Amino acid sequence: MSETRAVKLPTGGIRALPALPRLNLAPWLYLAPALITIVVWTYLPLIEAFQLSFYQWNMLPTSPKRFVGLANYAHLLTLPEMHAALANTAIYILGLFPMSVIIPLAVAIFTQDLKGPMRNVYRTLIFVPMIIAPVVAAIVWRWLLNEDHGLVNVALDTLGLHRIGFLQDPNFALATLIWITGWKLIGFSTLLFSAANASINPSYVEAARMDGASRCQIIRDIRLPLLSPTILLLSMMTVLFGAQWSFTYINVLTGGGPLKSTTNIFYLLWDYGFGSLSVGWSSAAGMIAFAGFTMIAFFCLRLMKRCSVYDN
Amino acid sequence: MASIRISSLHKVYGKTPAVRGVDLSIGTGEFVVILGPSGCGKSTLLRMIAGLEDITSGVVAIDDVIVNDLEPGDRGCAMVFQNYALYPHMSVSENIGYSLKVAGVARAERDEKIRRVATLLGLDTFLDRRPAQLSGGQRQRVAMGRAMIRSPRVFLFDEPLSNLDAKLRLQMRLEIKRLHRELGSTSIFVTHDQLEAMTLADRLVVMNGGKIEQVGTPQEIYRRPASLFVADFLGSPPMNFIPAVIDDEGKAVCADGLRPCPDLIWDLEPGAEVRIGVRPGDLQIVGRSARGALPFEVEMVEDLGTENHLHGTTTGLRMTAVLATGEAVPDHPFAVLIPESAVHLFRERDGARIDPRSVSRIH
Repeated sequence: MSETRAVKLPTGGIRALPALPRLNLAPWLYLAPALITIVVWTYLPLIEAFQLSFYQWNMLPTSPKRFVGLANYAHLLTLPEMHAALANTAIYILGLFPMSVIIPLAVAIFTQDLKGPMRNVYRTLIFVPMIIAPVVAAIVWRWLLNEDHGLVNVALDTLGLHRIGFLQDPNFALATLIWITGWKLIGFSTLLFSAANASINPSYVEAARMDGASRCQIIRDIRLPLLSPTILLLSMMTVLFGAQWSFTYINVLTGGGPLKSTTNIFYLLWDYGFGSLSVGWSSAAGMIAFAGFTMIAFFCLRLMKRCSVYDN
Repeated sequence: MASIRISSLHKVYGKTPAVRGVDLSIGTGEFVVILGPSGCGKSTLLRMIAGLEDITSGVVAIDDVIVNDLEPGDRGCAMVFQNYALYPHMSVSENIGYSLKVAGVARAERDEKIRRVATLLGLDTFLDRRPAQLSGGQRQRVAMGRAMIRSPRVFLFDEPLSNLDAKLRLQMRLEIKRLHRELGSTSIFVTHDQLEAMTLADRLVVMNGGKIEQVGTPQEIYRRPASLFVADFLGSPPMNFIPAVIDDEGKAVCADGLRPCPDLIWDLEPGAEVRIGVRPGDLQIVGRSARGALPFEVEMVEDLGTENHLHGTTTGLRMTAVLATGEAVPDHPFAVLIPESAVHLFRERDGARIDPRSVSRIH
């Protein structure tokens, strides 16, 4: 039978070793890829941008950086261009809401019961925009919306309506870019909402049906509250990133025009930095955007924590 | 309170039948338990009564009104789900009162009713809590409260105790029984637990393969199982079965030529294959020379505190005998005897129970 034997340690044993501080490297090694990436690509540029926002510099390594203190900020905050960009940023975010949250939510809920081939048809239709490369999507839309030969304007013509300069008319350009950004987003949001909706335990809905709730009451009282984490997540993403998502389309389609009507804070700071090479202005605009969105993110996270209902 | 009539009820999922022609009448105020193994169609049957599952064919009538096409909420049934299905985002009082809210009952009246039900179930101090903050037993009570507040005509229970630990299950079982006695509502309780079934049921329905195997009081079903399936399913430890063949005299002969019930005669054709069933608790310990005795070789004894389970073999077959703790396990070779009154015989061909014709005593 087995027996336990005491193993005698060599004299001195472990105690004889010099008392080294116990450095446990393993966790840090596991964290290193993520930490290094975040530091190199996020925090170092952030710190550098913060520094640059107090200087005047044109990015040429040979030209000197001139410290100007808060002048960049003061200048930016009085610039009408900046005001317009900030206002447009808000319009982008608000305009995206229906397409990033409201329509996908409704689509996910009302197509829940679709079965068989219909389900696949709708899924394909709704997800196609999502998998098209943004630049390709932008170009396809430019063709479609072309004032002279675009299909949309031909269709308007056929209906006896006026042609619209979707990307040329300052009254329409912003709305057009919001539409294209949102069109690209609907699939993604619907995917998230469909997944969240499908993961609601069906017995809650059955219990509500037993309780006599109608279809609408079930959506209002059961589905929406249980979807609240996803609703809040997507709302937060729209607020924080909505204006950023439109960058490609502004860049490819309008370049911020016509008459700066489609520019937003992200396009503006890019334009200052890499268009007119005013790094100080660009960094200051970046810091303003960063501070503003940090506050909004903080507020959204608190809101999520308070309002979300999680299934246990 | 209501009566329920179910006739020729079928449910088919694609090509797979789940319920295959169920006929059942449930009287007003009756507590009916549907018992069966997993996948026997018992939950599907309950859900068809509730209206949560479409009926492929057949009729469900409550108080003689056909409810096949009525919405679940309009059938006057309330259901307690296996996982309770308490709305996680609502407090206990909102959970209990939800059916009244959607029915448009005024807040004051609603609160009054919620309080009354909560007091009855001992939940009055938890009304503001969320389900996640409750223990399993408390959640179970909330689920009961949610069902009770509507004063339903029929209570439907879908394995409501299976998520609870043994002690709590016993407690809730008694509570359900007590509530049924107080409220007197017609109740249908689905379970795979025979202890629950035996203790709760006024009438027990045993299902297998989408069909009803037997309907009767728990005692009837336990004492006179109508089929091999029922005999095998009900009872712990399960019934012992000995394969046998009917001889020219109509008596059952086992392997080795042994006749475990030498005085019983069955009206079956000679050569018919049967199975003799006997409950472990009915076996008597006797000497090996006794008439009709089956030699028993003990392999293992389980002491359950209240009784000993003797597991062993008889004529090469596994067999279990139960002895009260007070009775000593014999330390010499012994045999078991099947008392005539404890013999159950089932035809091998279709599993049907066949009762003996007569008892012809030799002495």
